[in-house]
Amino acid sequence: MADEEAALSPPLSHRRDPIKSSVHNTAAHRRRQQAIAVGKERRESLIRAKRLCRDTVIDGSESPFEGDMIIDEEKEALDSKTSQTVLELKSAIAFQGKGATQKKVEILRVLRRLLSQSEVPPIEAALQAGAVPLLVQCLSFGSSDEQLLEAAWCLTNIAAGEPEHTKSLLPSLPMLIAHLGEKSSTPVAEQCAWAVGNVAGEGEELRNILLAQGALFPLARLMMSNKGSTSRTSSWALSNLIKGPDPKAANELIRVDGLLDAIVWHLKKADDELATEVAWVIVYLSALSEKATSLLVKSDVVRLLVGRLVASESLQMLIPVLRSLGNLVASDSYMIDVVLIVGHTITDELLSGLIKCLKSEHRVLKKEASWVLSNIAAGSLEHKRLIYSSEATPLLINFLSSAPFDIRKEAAFTLGNLCVAPPKNNEQPGIIVVHLVSLIDSGCLPGFLNLIRSADIESARLGLQFLELVMRGLPNGEGPKLVEREDGIEAMERFQFHENEEMRNMANTLVDKYFGEDYGLE
Amino acid sequence: MAMEITSILLAAQSQDGQIRTVAEGNLKQFQEQNLPHFLLALSIELSNEQKPPESRRLAGILLKNSLDAKDSIRKEELAQKWISVDLTIKFQVKESLLKTLGSSVSEARRTSSQVIAKVASIEIPRREWQDLIAKLLNNMTQKDSLPSLKEATLETLGYVCEEISPEDLEQDQVNAILTAVVQGMNQMEHSFEVRLAGIKALYNALDFAQTNFQNEIERNYLMKVVCETAVSKESNVRQAAFECLVSIASTYYELLGPYMETLFNLTASAVRGDEEPVALQAIEFWSTICDEEITIQEEHAGPADGSSSQHYRFIEKALPLLVPMLLETLLKQEEDQDQDDNIWNLSMAGGTCLGLVARNVGDAVVPLVMPFVQDNITKADWRNREAATFAFGSILEGPSVETLLPLVHAGLNFLLNAMKDQNTHVKDTTAWALGRIFEILHSPSSTYAVITNANLPQIMSVLLESIRDVPNVAEKVCGAIYFLVQGYEDDGSASSVLTPYLADAISALLSTADRMDTNNSRLRASAYETVNEIVRCSSQPESLNMIAHLMHEIMKRLSQTLELQISSSEDKENQSDLQALLCGVLQVIIQKLSSSDAKSVILQSADQMMILFLRVFGCRSSSVHEEAMLAIGALAYATGPEFAKYMPEFYNYLEMGLQNFEEYQVCSISVGVVGDICRALDEKILPFCNGIMSALLKDLSNSMLHRSVKPPIFSCFGDIALAIGEQFEKYLPYAVSMLQGAAGLCTYLDVNDEDMVDYGNQLRRGIFEAYSGILQGFKNSKAELLVPYASQLLQFTEAVFKDKNRDEGVTRAAVAMLGDLADTLGPNTKLLFRDCTFHSDFLGECFESDDEQLKETATWTQGMIRRVLVS
Repeated sequence: MADEEAALSPPLSHRRDPIKSSVHNTAAHRRRQQAIAVGKERRESLIRAKRLCRDTVIDGSESPFEGDMIIDEEKEALDSKTSQTVLELKSAIAFQGKGATQKKVEILRVLRRLLSQSEVPPIEAALQAGAVPLLVQCLSFGSSDEQLLEAAWCLTNIAAGEPEHTKSLLPSLPMLIAHLGEKSSTPVAEQCAWAVGNVAGEGEELRNILLAQGALFPLARLMMSNKGSTSRTSSWALSNLIKGPDPKAANELIRVDGLLDAIVWHLKKADDELATEVAWVIVYLSALSEKATSLLVKSDVVRLLVGRLVASESLQMLIPVLRSLGNLVASDSYMIDVVLIVGHTITDELLSGLIKCLKSEHRVLKKEASWVLSNIAAGSLEHKRLIYSSEATPLLINFLSSAPFDIRKEAAFTLGNLCVAPPKNNEQPGIIVVHLVSLIDSGCLPGFLNLIRSADIESARLGLQFLELVMRGLPNGEGPKLVEREDGIEAMERFQFHENEEMRNMANTLVDKYFGEDYGLE
Repeated sequence: MAMEITSILLAAQSQDGQIRTVAEGNLKQFQEQNLPHFLLALSIELSNEQKPPESRRLAGILLKNSLDAKDSIRKEELAQKWISVDLTIKFQVKESLLKTLGSSVSEARRTSSQVIAKVASIEIPRREWQDLIAKLLNNMTQKDSLPSLKEATLETLGYVCEEISPEDLEQDQVNAILTAVVQGMNQMEHSFEVRLAGIKALYNALDFAQTNFQNEIERNYLMKVVCETAVSKESNVRQAAFECLVSIASTYYELLGPYMETLFNLTASAVRGDEEPVALQAIEFWSTICDEEITIQEEHAGPADGSSSQHYRFIEKALPLLVPMLLETLLKQEEDQDQDDNIWNLSMAGGTCLGLVARNVGDAVVPLVMPFVQDNITKADWRNREAATFAFGSILEGPSVETLLPLVHAGLNFLLNAMKDQNTHVKDTTAWALGRIFEILHSPSSTYAVITNANLPQIMSVLLESIRDVPNVAEKVCGAIYFLVQGYEDDGSASSVLTPYLADAISALLSTADRMDTNNSRLRASAYETVNEIVRCSSQPESLNMIAHLMHEIMKRLSQTLELQISSSEDKENQSDLQALLCGVLQVIIQKLSSSDAKSVILQSADQMMILFLRVFGCRSSSVHEEAMLAIGALAYATGPEFAKYMPEFYNYLEMGLQNFEEYQVCSISVGVVGDICRALDEKILPFCNGIMSALLKDLSNSMLHRSVKPPIFSCFGDIALAIGEQFEKYLPYAVSMLQGAAGLCTYLDVNDEDMVDYGNQLRRGIFEAYSGILQGFKNSKAELLVPYASQLLQFTEAVFKDKNRDEGVTRAAVAMLGDLADTLGPNTKLLFRDCTFHSDFLGECFESDDEQLKETATWTQGMIRRVLVS
């Protein structure tokens, strides 16, 4: 029990540390504190780096806090550092002695870091100091890979700036494209693809220049690379390059030997990031090139896209996949007639993928999925029945009443298509009465009437067409009465003097036919 | 039962281990099965004059241990148990205790008074046992009370005052206590023991006497009594009286004016003529006045917040008399005083006080001290020379550089020569004074540099010569070299002036560390710490080879420690101490070289070093754990992802460190190392995260773990989340619940307790760092998992914003976290940010700051929030 005898009497004597003490106590304590402080500093600088290297903060024009001034000062310092570095690069290029190459690489690296450093990179300063011609010189054939890489990287960063910055790369394009070629090392080619992609993203004019200079073929070849980052970067660059609106590039791309195989291969094997970029290539191919579309629908691509649609939760990925599928369904009847046969697994999978997107939080997914559905709903009777009896219908009905306008419109297209039988020999389209009655019972009419009141002609036409179906198709002549009860006449009469002749005629004809002199007389 | 417990209590103190164990088991069982009767039995045993002193003694100790513990949680548990004991039993126990105060056995009386104080500390704050004070005072006023009862009663009053806080007593109770205590100090009436108990009780009651001290008549009376007691005939009564005066000096500084003349005379005569323990307290009185005035000066120098106390300049006024008195004490050295680092005698206390006086009054002290220095420094008696040097060294901090530099320039050469004095004490103090000069005045960039290119060769040659002197002198020389080198730290160009001497200095220090002519480990520690300072302050790249060479030498030495013959616990301790020092040197080297182009030197030896560290861990000792951990943290930073290959072996030791809650510094440093490793390995740390997170969560829920480790653990959550990103998902619920718990705790911390305010700030900062790391970690995927916590997090941040004790570190972490929240959760937080407006005020405050980094962070955060608001 001895250990339980805590000291019983409190010490009652003042003592302080003598002034004359040995150094080791304080020194060891101080050293340990320093070691711990270093860890804290590293934590802070790591997380700061993560924060400040983010994409640009939006430039709020209000409240010019003192903070902005600091940024200005920093910016000034950064600019002068950058100009200085460009000048150093210039003299390093002129200097041909021992170690010249290493020196150049070092300066390029400094410049590249400066250009990627802040939220507002000092691109202007670099351009004014004459960076582009110097960088082009650094891209000359026979330069070391390291030098090529750094120079291309600098150019990539410049191209990421404002439109006029991007345009300033014009003199460098031939060399950048040259280094996309087979003789370049992969990292260099990839970096050049990145720079070219930035330029291509800028606009049609630059795209045409790049195409004229032959960027398409080497990029397509790079896309077939086995290295993930290389094929991803070049896919991204390609999608920028073939954006159109001129379909020439897309037509040319699909003719490149092995391209379709590469697309299939990547869709089959690649990670989400690469597959996403490849899907964007498909988006533009299918939107712009009939040739491409007819090849794509007959390939494994559709099945793979559907697979990705079902499996992925990534917004980035789902958008191009949906859009590709929509393009393909809309522009080639082969899809509906041969690929998406009702009863085939692929069709069910596609539908379940689309329903998933309809249920998603993201507005873009809802819209794109509704659009794909509307194209399928324009297909055969079986397709219409399949969609009608699926979970999609209640979702679409809900969209029609409460979703944002663009989604509402796509939903209306789909719902409208569900009520119209496939056209036969130029006759007025038949009505699928069961679908129509049930949609009306679900309260769809006000939604369509709202569309009629919309300023968007296409929506208004869609609304009028649906109204016509209701008045013609509801059993027992209930249609006109219902329309009248829901203020439909007022909605149609808005078009009586409408500037668009087609709409005016359509509305007037409907009013005359169903609410003419005979209306109300039984 | 009573009979039985006596024998058990005696058996529990038996020499025979077996009997003892059985008895201890019985007592424990009794306690657990029936606490009320256990307590009652013990109190009866303690109060029973018929029982043997031994059983009463143990009964008292067990009683006390049933009511009080060092650990605060256990203490609270015990208090709750006592509170739930039946009232009648509690009454009986307390009556027995009070009765024991009248015992003829002094040990029983003393134990009882302590137990009474423990019970009082539980009951009086709950407004129970309100008649305790009255009952105790009754003991004092009863005519037939024995002196022993009065003594015990006064002691009890003292302990009670020590245990409870002033607001727990009514003013009339305080008045009664003071009256009783002061009466007890009466010379005429009472024995020495009673008076001693009285003055000690007064010491404890001083905090309660606020009201009485504000009243001039009462204050005059109390001061008169204390001053009279300070000249009692018994020296321990005088000592206790001076201790009271010291306490009064710090508690009632602002009321001392009228008494200062008396107090000066009283202390001066004690310093000059009284026995050492009394004289030391008399000097302490003046040191305490210095402390008070230095604090006031610092407050005045800081931002004027209106709360600063008034500065009465007592030291300045007493200076012409005070300084000569202190200088006299310097001549009262003891022979062999330099052998003990913790020596405390008249001369040491006087020099220490003189140092405080110099800090207090600055230049004014110099003309009063310099004549003494000049008169004595060449005298034949070593005492004069040593005192002169000590006086000079003591006043170097405080006076202006302009005043001191001419003196130092004139005296430096003399001091360097004095390193060859025939007396060791003189050399010891001279080396210390040189160190003080270098520490305080040496700055190569200033116009009148103390050390110049001209005198540096001589200085270095004297120091490297004297480092071979006797161990205590050598140790002070290490200090001088340490500060000399440190002065060059921020001076890149001048440090190369030093470079030519460093290799010799290091080799001299390493030889010093090896000296066999002392068993005192201080010399070795000072030598290695000085080596560390050289490495830290050396300039690159010219010292690179030297440091690389040193690294290999230290590794060699570390591996030799593994071969040491260990045959006693002393050997073991020696081995651990040495390993700790050597790991420390390696840590400094790794840190120095990994931030330079010379990292490859480290990388080449990383494998070998790691093997050494792991073997050192194998020797198991906490101090080594600490230093080796720090070194490994530095190594992880240097090696980066390569560190992964060491993890399988190192992990066990890391886990041991994380689980070592008893030695909390080890635990804390291990937590820091986890952060280092996260940054080095990134997602490669994943395989070890289950173990690490379990250990950390266990630590957080461990009430025995020192609280200072908890904030770093939270920051560490952030490090882990940042490293493993979305993989943190599985730990998220646990981590967040701990963070929310801690956030809740922050609101309950005592804002009047400076330590608690400080702890609250650390805690808040840790919490924000954790969330920042988690938010950043989830930024690229699964950000939606954090949406449910956003609202609470904003509320917490708002509460922190409104907390007036918030420090800069918390502000920075909070603002950054706000940005992370907006950045990661994006439009999901739009409504939240729109609904709460405090963030714009908070950012506004940050833009007003002088801290550039804070402003930058605030700008970023502002951008992030704006982006969300317009989304």
